Parts: sequence; structure tokens; C-alpha cells
Amino acid sequence: MTLRRWLQSSAVALLAATGLSALALPSAADAADHTGGTLRLTSSSAAGTIDPQVNYTAQDWQIFYITNDGLVEFKKDEGPGSNDVVPDLATSIPKPQDGGKTYVFTLRKGIKFSTGAEVTPDDVVASFQRLFKVSNPNAGSWYNVIVGADACIKTPATCTLAGGVVADDKANTITFHLTQPDSEFFYKLATPFGSILPANTPPKDLGTTPAAATGPYMITSNDPQKAMILKRNPYFKEWSAAAQPAGYVDEIDYTFGTKPEDEITAIENGQQDWMFDTPPADRLPEMSRKFPKQIHINPLFAIFYAPMNVNIAPFNNKDARLAVNYAFNRRSAVDIYGGPRLAVPNCQILPPGFPGYKPYCPYTKNPGTKWSAPDMAKAKSLMAASGQAGQKVTVISDDQNTDPQISTYLVSVLNQLGFKATLKVISANIQFTYIQNTKNNVQISLSQWYQDYPAASDFINVLLGCGSFHPGSDASINISGFCDKTIDAAIQKNLVTAVTDPKAANAEWAKLDHELTDQAPWVTMFTPKQLDFVSKRLGNFSYSDQFKVIFSQVWVQ
Amino acid sequence: MSDSVIDTPTPADLSGGGMGEPGEAMAAARTRATEGPWRAGLRKLMRDRTAMGAVVVLILIILACVAAPWYAQHVSQSDPFQSNLDGQITIGKNTLDIMQADTGGLGLGVTPIGPTWRGQYFLGADDQGRDVMARMLYGGRNSLIISFASTVICLVLAALVGTVAGFLGGWVDTILARLLDVLWAFPIYLLAISLSIVLISKGLQIGPINIPSNSLLIPIAIIGVVYVPYVARPIRGQVLSLARSDFVLAARCLGVPSSRILFRDILPNVTTTIIVFAPLMMALNMLTESALSFLSIGVQPPSASWGTIIQDGEDLLYTQPMVAIAPGLAIIVTVLALNFLGDGVRDAFDPRAKLRVGKG
Amino acid sequence: MLLPTLRRLAEMIFVMLGISIVVFLIFFATPGSDPAARIAGRNATPETLAQVRHSFGLDQPLPIQYIKVMEKLFISRDLTSFVNRGQKVIPAVIEATPVTLSLVLGAAVIWVIFGIWVGVTAAATRGTVIDRGLMLLGLVGVSMPVFWVGSVANLITQSRFHDTWLFHWVPGLGYTPITQNPWLWFKSLIIPWMTLAILYIGLYGRVLRANLVEAYQEDFIRTARAKGLSETRIMFRHALRTSLITFVSMFGLDFGALVGGGALLTEVVFDLPGVGRLTYQALQNLDLPFIMATVMYSSFFVVVANALVDIAYAWLDPRVRDAR
Repeated sequence: MTLRRWLQSSAVALLAATGLSALALPSAADAADHTGGTLRLTSSSAAGTIDPQVNYTAQDWQIFYITNDGLVEFKKDEGPGSNDVVPDLATSIPKPQDGGKTYVFTLRKGIKFSTGAEVTPDDVVASFQRLFKVSNPNAGSWYNVIVGADACIKTPATCTLAGGVVADDKANTITFHLTQPDSEFFYKLATPFGSILPANTPPKDLGTTPAAATGPYMITSNDPQKAMILKRNPYFKEWSAAAQPAGYVDEIDYTFGTKPEDEITAIENGQQDWMFDTPPADRLPEMSRKFPKQIHINPLFAIFYAPMNVNIAPFNNKDARLAVNYAFNRRSAVDIYGGPRLAVPNCQILPPGFPGYKPYCPYTKNPGTKWSAPDMAKAKSLMAASGQAGQKVTVISDDQNTDPQISTYLVSVLNQLGFKATLKVISANIQFTYIQNTKNNVQISLSQWYQDYPAASDFINVLLGCGSFHPGSDASINISGFCDKTIDAAIQKNLVTAVTDPKAANAEWAKLDHELTDQAPWVTMFTPKQLDFVSKRLGNFSYSDQFKVIFSQVWVQ
Repeated sequence: MSDSVIDTPTPADLSGGGMGEPGEAMAAARTRATEGPWRAGLRKLMRDRTAMGAVVVLILIILACVAAPWYAQHVSQSDPFQSNLDGQITIGKNTLDIMQADTGGLGLGVTPIGPTWRGQYFLGADDQGRDVMARMLYGGRNSLIISFASTVICLVLAALVGTVAGFLGGWVDTILARLLDVLWAFPIYLLAISLSIVLISKGLQIGPINIPSNSLLIPIAIIGVVYVPYVARPIRGQVLSLARSDFVLAARCLGVPSSRILFRDILPNVTTTIIVFAPLMMALNMLTESALSFLSIGVQPPSASWGTIIQDGEDLLYTQPMVAIAPGLAIIVTVLALNFLGDGVRDAFDPRAKLRVGKG
Repeated sequence: MLLPTLRRLAEMIFVMLGISIVVFLIFFATPGSDPAARIAGRNATPETLAQVRHSFGLDQPLPIQYIKVMEKLFISRDLTSFVNRGQKVIPAVIEATPVTLSLVLGAAVIWVIFGIWVGVTAAATRGTVIDRGLMLLGLVGVSMPVFWVGSVANLITQSRFHDTWLFHWVPGLGYTPITQNPWLWFKSLIIPWMTLAILYIGLYGRVLRANLVEAYQEDFIRTARAKGLSETRIMFRHALRTSLITFVSMFGLDFGALVGGGALLTEVVFDLPGVGRLTYQALQNLDLPFIMATVMYSSFFVVVANALVDIAYAWLDPRVRDAR
């Protein structure tokens, strides 16, 4: 039950529909009135370890967002502002030196951990060493840009990052040296992986034990079968309202183990305030009729897509891939997901509103910028040209939410085209790694991708770059196995451009997005929206593009 | 019957003879002296009105399922394996969407059409816009095929293992009996679920034979194997007591060869036990199949069985409960008929057997 | 008596060992079961993957991994989950036990009372419409898929008729410990109890009736009749007493199996965090440490129940010793 949590490493929204340009901050008097009470959150299951440097789930990132801080942080704001990086434990965002290979951060003074100890430059160095010692999921893909990282990846136990992360106690600074300029370095520091923990934190996965906090809340107890309790951090004093504002509620109780069906009932009855899980489709009509004021819908930076394996039959044939793209009725998939209010048809790699996004849809009647209807005639003629009719195809789906239904529909489309398609539904916990491993000879599957941070490369380079294709490994996120040398060279070149000229880079990303879409390594289906169902008493609902609801900013009284 | 089907039957339940009285087999043997046990049993069964009623019901169900393609073509007029998400139907003068977007409130959610109680979409549509009635007929085929074939596998294996162990004795018996013990104490649902997860994600490859993961053979094999101990143990007990019985000992003393003893004295008795077990095992297997499919580890979509349709219906329980209720009723009627038939067969062939399969 | 007991004990250990090995092998035969990639995260590099695999000892040969798991489960008792890392397995199983016990005990009370009532009534009125009706109902109970009954019960009590006077008292699904709120505990379990009990009422009622009818043909009943004892007295003092032997042994086995996690579907349908649901989740998550722990737990109950019943049988009926 945790795949979605793996995937939604961070889910994001556009400007909330009603045009909130900034967080509607309440007046001081108001704030006092609303302080206190217990916020009750619920989820069908816990999200694994609560070590902020290991956990890679949307569910817990939402929590780490208010318990821990990095040198920099995504702004706690609504709308596009929430995608900006602001200084957090550091006093300011440093200017790049040495052509973008060196950054010097100055640490704020007087910030304390929930243990009472002050945050020092040594803690920062130790935290980055610890990233490698605990085998952080992205140690090799994000943080390998730090000087000395290669040695740390090989032998984590003796990781020093010597020459890569250097503390200066007197000046109260930390200097980072990179092997090459990295336009996304601040984003990588702003995710919970970049949390600064005390230097004496054990260099292994903390598991169910909470790490020391710097934010307004700290985890005081955690039982993955039952509940996680957060209380106010007694040593917290607000230092930057943009990076880490103080919270309203006194306590947050996060209970685990209730089915989504029952979570909805509990919220309707006022026994819970918010649920993590996606509401089951058959409860939507009832919810939207009876409790429309308690529903918040916000767009996400995410896509639902069916990667096709371009290296084995039948989808090594481009015409076959195009045929599926023309035949797939995105509106039907949207309906299964919950209707047009909850998802938008999409044909391309990037989700709407993302940096570098320019609307483009060749796979529709009247090709242009928008998907309107499937073009079955064109699909059939492409299918005939491909000569793949009669081929056996197995669609691999996971068993979460509406995914089996969307995959069943995909099977139906494939059969209509003349394939002999069947469906294989496997547990969400293994499906995601199963479809990546080339040894399993997966032809086509259903998957989702939720942004890590707002940069086009997080879709284009991560999902379709040659560097993410590792044949024979469970970790090969380029599921299509798509590797076009020319396009990849352009991607790598553009990553360098992005360091100095983000605007030009985004224009280039848009071009690459369209080129990749034309190659049809996937059937992109739609971009979902985030639906939050909250209790009647929950006020000041604040939604960040990066981490969804900001728990420190909502109130319950 | 989870808790039933899938959990453990017990020595006392199924003990045709395992724990039971060695005398039972003797009783059956005695009947044989006057008239062939088959003919006598059959005649008795034919006179049993309840059992015959059950047979009629079963035949009707089988006929209905056999007619599934005809129904899909002429009555429901839709392919029950193709999604029909943007289709419409005309009822009287109204044209309705099969998947109806909700218009109240915020307009969230899309609900399939409910029962029309006419030819098309008699029981409504499922979440793919497919005709539930047509799917139920097709699903019934799979449910029946799986429960029948797994019963055959289970009984043949059980007879083989039970007879070999009981008749040969010695170390063969020790090994087989211990294996049965392990399988016996293995919580049934657990074994079935673990096997399903492996086989469904991988398929089965034995030498040159490659069974794809979506083949019906996989649930058949799993269900067939997990219940082997429940039949094999009583058969072993029965064979053991027969092999030690006075008339077999006498025959041995007279120098009658083992094979002759096996075929003349032992196998007929084993066969009777198996016949008595058959309908009850099939009922049990049908419930097990539905439970596994309900946990989405049985029949794989887009194929259907009654269990998978119930599972599809779970997602629509609050809006279109008929999708889950109808196949449940189909299971109950079929299993009930099988149980009635089982009672009749037992009374006719081996009235003293204390079978208790329902409990699974 | 000592030797048979020891033999029995050795057999039990053998069986549990066999089960643990089978489960362990099944786990490693599952493609994608290697938890390293799941633990490592969604775009880990192969090097990170290798590190994670090494830190979990997943790069060691299977027999060594097996011994390590068993050692952590039984000796150091600090086996932890692969999915919720750091979560200890044994306390989680111990915490789930009272839930399962509550469910099974309550259901058992219902099914024993109603089972005896059905059996006795049917036997006393054998041949009449009441008898046939009860037996038909019993068979219907045996023929219903439990998960379906549970779903329909939920539909009725949680949704369709929840707002009527009949079911407005039914609390939302889930479990409340008896120590926390006994009344809520009772209210939230009553529907699951009945759902689970239906099957056994049918079963026990039918078996009991058959035994009673058989007992009526025995000599000692005829003697009792000849003595002029009342029908009620014959039923309860004589016939029922002898028939209860089968009843009790059946009960032992069923109870053992259910406490051991056999109530899985009921727990899943009613969202009760018992051992059955824990097992199911562990299998869904392919969380090997949890699978091993719950399997050992449930097979323990099944094996013990089997042994107890066998011993009770041998004690009651010397003939059985030969048959086994």
C-alpha cells in the first residue's frame, strides 16, 4: 500500500483555482484566537522509516517539512511562490563562485535542535556525510556532484567528503565544492534529504526513532501500526516566516491503519481532520454533494503514463507505439480517475504549468495544443503499417486505487487495435521495481511520476535520459529503456545551460519535450489533481506546490 | 468462507476414516457383496429428491454459463471483455450514458449505469462500462471450471498419495505422512496467497511447459494442491486399516499378490470415499476460488470469475451494489446445490461417513 | 505417556520448521521480492542499490539468511520489518493478538450457543418442517462466502440503512480496545461476530443434529427410555452429552485455526487490525520478516490445536491410536 507514497515524493499544484497569489496570512489577533488544539490526520498505512535522510515518500515529506530544516527550503507559501527556494538555516542564498562550482553558506546563529543543542557548521558537514552513510536513495543520483562523493558511495562507512563540504567554525560558514556546476543544487538541498541533523545522530537508518527537529514541531512517538504523534518543539523560535513559520495547533496526531472508505466517514463525522489517501471513486458523488465546502482541489505536477519498452516487440516498432497513442481515449482514463474535475488529459512528457511546459498534443483528432478525441482511423492505419497485429502483449499494473481499472481500459484499447492483450495486476509494492528490470521483459505498464522539485530535467532527464537506463537492474527508472544518443546529448548540454541561463534552458526543454513526445516512448494519459477532504472545523487550508497541505498553517479552532 | 474455506479443516471433520472408525470401510465392503456399490448407490441417489433438485439447479447454471457467448451477442449486445466507457444505450425514448458523470455538488466522480432490468445491462454496468450480467455468465464458466478441475486434481493426488502411503507403509509412508502434516498445519489461506503471489507475478515453468501467469491452470493447481491433505489423510487411514484388516491378511496368507489386493479390495473402497468427497470438495473449492479472486490473486482480469466480479463490485458498493451482490448470490446458489448433492451422495454411497467439508 | 508426548513435540517442531522453510523459499522465488530496490528509493543508482543490499545482508547465501532470520525471530527476538524499517515484528504481532482474540471469542460464544440450539431443536423435531428448515438454513450458512456476507453487512449497516433506527448505533469500522471503551468495543464487534459465526452455526448445528440422531439409536438411550425418563432429560443428560465429544474437538480445531489468523477475510472486510490482517498486509507488502513471524504464529496455533485434539481423541477413544 505504499507505492503511491514512494511515488508522490512531492506532489505539487498550480495556483489554487481562486487566484490566491500569496498565503492569506491572518492578522495577529486572529492568529492568537486560532492557536491550540489537536490536528488529527489519518492514513491507511505508515510510510516506512522516519529518518528524513532516508524516507522518500510524499506522505512523510509533508511531515518533515514542518519538523526539519535544510540550509535552504522551499518557501512555505501558496501558488507559484511555493516553488521558490528561500534561505532557511542559512542567512541567505549564496552567489555561485568559481563558475557555479563553489557555494559558501553562512549559518544563522541561535537556532537550536529539539535536544537543546545549537546548530553548528559541524552538524551540517556531518549531515552530508550521513547522507552517504545511510545509503540515501539519491546519494548516487543527486549528491554525487559534491567533491568526494564517489569515495563515499564506494565505502559509505568511511565517508568524509573531504574537500567537498568544509566547515569554518569561526566564520560560521560551510563551503560546498562541486565537481561540475549544478543548476538544481539548491533544490536538492531544499528537500528533506538536505535536513540538518545533530552531528551525533547515529550513522544508520533511524527506523522508527525520530530525529532531532529544528522546526516548530517534533515527532514524540511513532508506531507504524498505530500512530505518530507530533508536539511543539520547545526550542523553536520563528526566524523566517517564509522558510519555517510557527504553527497554530499544539499537537498533531497521525493515525494509521484505517481504510480510505472509513477515513472519509470519519472526516464526515468530524472524528478526523484530514486524510492522506485518495478517496475511493465511488464515494466522490456523495462527498461532492454533501460536503462541497470541505473539498479542496489543487493541480499537481505529475503524470499518469504507460511506458512502452522500446527494445522488445511489439513496441520496438514506432508505428505500433504511435497507434496506441492515437487510439487511447484520454477522456475515458480521466473518467475512471474521477472525472474532468480531478484530472486533465495530457499527451506530452511534462505536466501543465511546469517549468519548460509548452502545450503540445500530436495524438488527437485535430492535432495541436490540446487533446480532444482519439483518432481511431489513423491508429488503425498505423497499426496496419506496423505489422504487429496479433502480437501478444501483457500490461503490468499495480493494485492501487484506480490503476487496475485504467490498465483494464488500456488492455481494451490494445485489443481493439488488434493486439492480443492481457492484464497482470501485481502488488504495488513490487510492481514499480518489477517494471524497471529488463530481465522481466515487461512490454507495457502503468506508472506515475510526481516531481521531486520544479525542474524539467526531473521528468526529461530522469525518465528518458540514457543515464537512467540500467539493463538488468531493479533500479532503472527509464522504464521504456529509451536512449536516443542525439536527444541525450542535447539534454546533457541543456543541463549545463540551465546553470547560467534558466530561461534559454526552459525554451530548450520545451523543444526536447516535444521531440520526445514525437518519439512516443509512452502513452501519456493525464495529469491528476490533488483532492484534499478536510473536516468542517479545519481552517486556513494552505496548499504548497511542493508539499501540499502545510500542517503548521492550518488551524482547528 | 474465509474463515472457513480457507482455514483449516480438521481431522475430525473430514475423517472418512483418518481418525474415524476402521469399521466404516468394512461397512462399505460389505454392501459390495450383494450388489455393485455403484449401482446401489446410484439408485439410491436417484430416489433422493433433494439431491435430484440440486442436480437440476446445477445443470441449469451450467447451461446458462455455456450460453454466455449467445447471451453476450444477442441479449446484452456487447463484448463483456471490452471497456465501453464512452458508450450509450437507448431505453425507451431516452438515450443514456453508460458511465454517468455526477452533476450534483462539485461534479466529482463518474458512476456506471445501474440495473435496467432489460436485455441490455440487465444488472447494470461495472466500472469499465461492461454488462455485468454477461460477465457473470462468462465468470461462472471460470468459477465452475476452476472448482471442478481443482477438485479432480485434488482427489486424484489425494487418492494417489493416500493409497501409496497407506498401502506401502514403511519409509515411504513416513515421508508422505510428514509432508502431509506440513501441508496440513500450513494455514490454508496463507499457502494459497503466497503461492498465488509468486505464480501470478511469474507464471510457472516446468521444463518445456510454460504456463503463463494469467492462465486458469494456476488457480486450479493452487486450489487443487492446498486441499490434498484433507482428503489424503482420511484415505491413508482407510487404506491403512484395510491393509491390516482380517480379510486382507487372510488373502495375503493365501498368497494373493499385492497388486490384486490393491485393485480388488482397496481401490474400490478408496473410490467410494472419493465419490463422496467430490461434490463437497467442489463446493469448498468454489468458495476458495472466490476468496482468492476477491483478494485479487485468483483469476486475472480481463477474465472474470464470480469472485473477481465481487471484487470489482467492492469499488462500487456505495453507488451500484448490485455488481457485488449478484455474483455473491450466484456463488451461494451453486455452492448450496453442490452441498445438497454432496449430502445425497454421502447418504447413498457411504451413509456412515462423517464428512464435514463445509468447514474447510 | 512421556514418550508419545515427546514424539508429538518433535513432530510439531518438524512441521513448523518445514513451514518456515517453504515460506522462506516461496518469498525468494517471487520476482521483484528483493526488497533492496524498494528500500533504496525510486531513482537510486545501482551502486546505492548494492550498498542497501549489503547492509540488509541480502547478498548472502539463502541458508545463512534463513538462519539469521530465525535467530532474530526466536533468540534475539529483535527482528525488524523491511517495509517500516526499525519496526519490531514481535511486539506488532503481540499487539494484534487481542484483536483477533476478541473477534474469535465473541464469535465462538455466538456459534456455540446457536449451534447447540439449532442441533438440539432439529434433532428433537427430526423429520418435521422445523428440522428441514433449520437444516436448510444451516446449509445456506455454510455456502456463503464470508467476505461477501461481510461486504453486504457493511453496505447495510454502514451505508444504506445506517441512518435508520435499526443500525444508527453501528460505529464506523475499526477496533476499539476493551480497556479503552468496553461498550464501543462491543458495538463495533457485534456485526463481525455474527458474520464470522454464521458459517459455524450452520456447520455445528448440522453435525450436532447428525450425532444426536445417531445417539438416539444407541442402546443406552433405549435403556433410558425404558426407564421412563422424560424426553428432555434424555436429550440433555444423555444424548447431548455423548454427542458433545465431536463437538468439542471440532471446536478446539476451529478455534485454534481462527486465533492463528484464520479469520483473515473477516478482519480484512471489517478493517480489524488483527493477526489475519497483519498477515495479509505482510504478504501484500512482501515484508519477509513479518511474513515469517505471522506464519510461525499461525502454524503454531494450528499445530497445537491439532495436537491437543489428537491427544483428547486418543484419551477418549483408544481405537484411534491404531488408526493414526
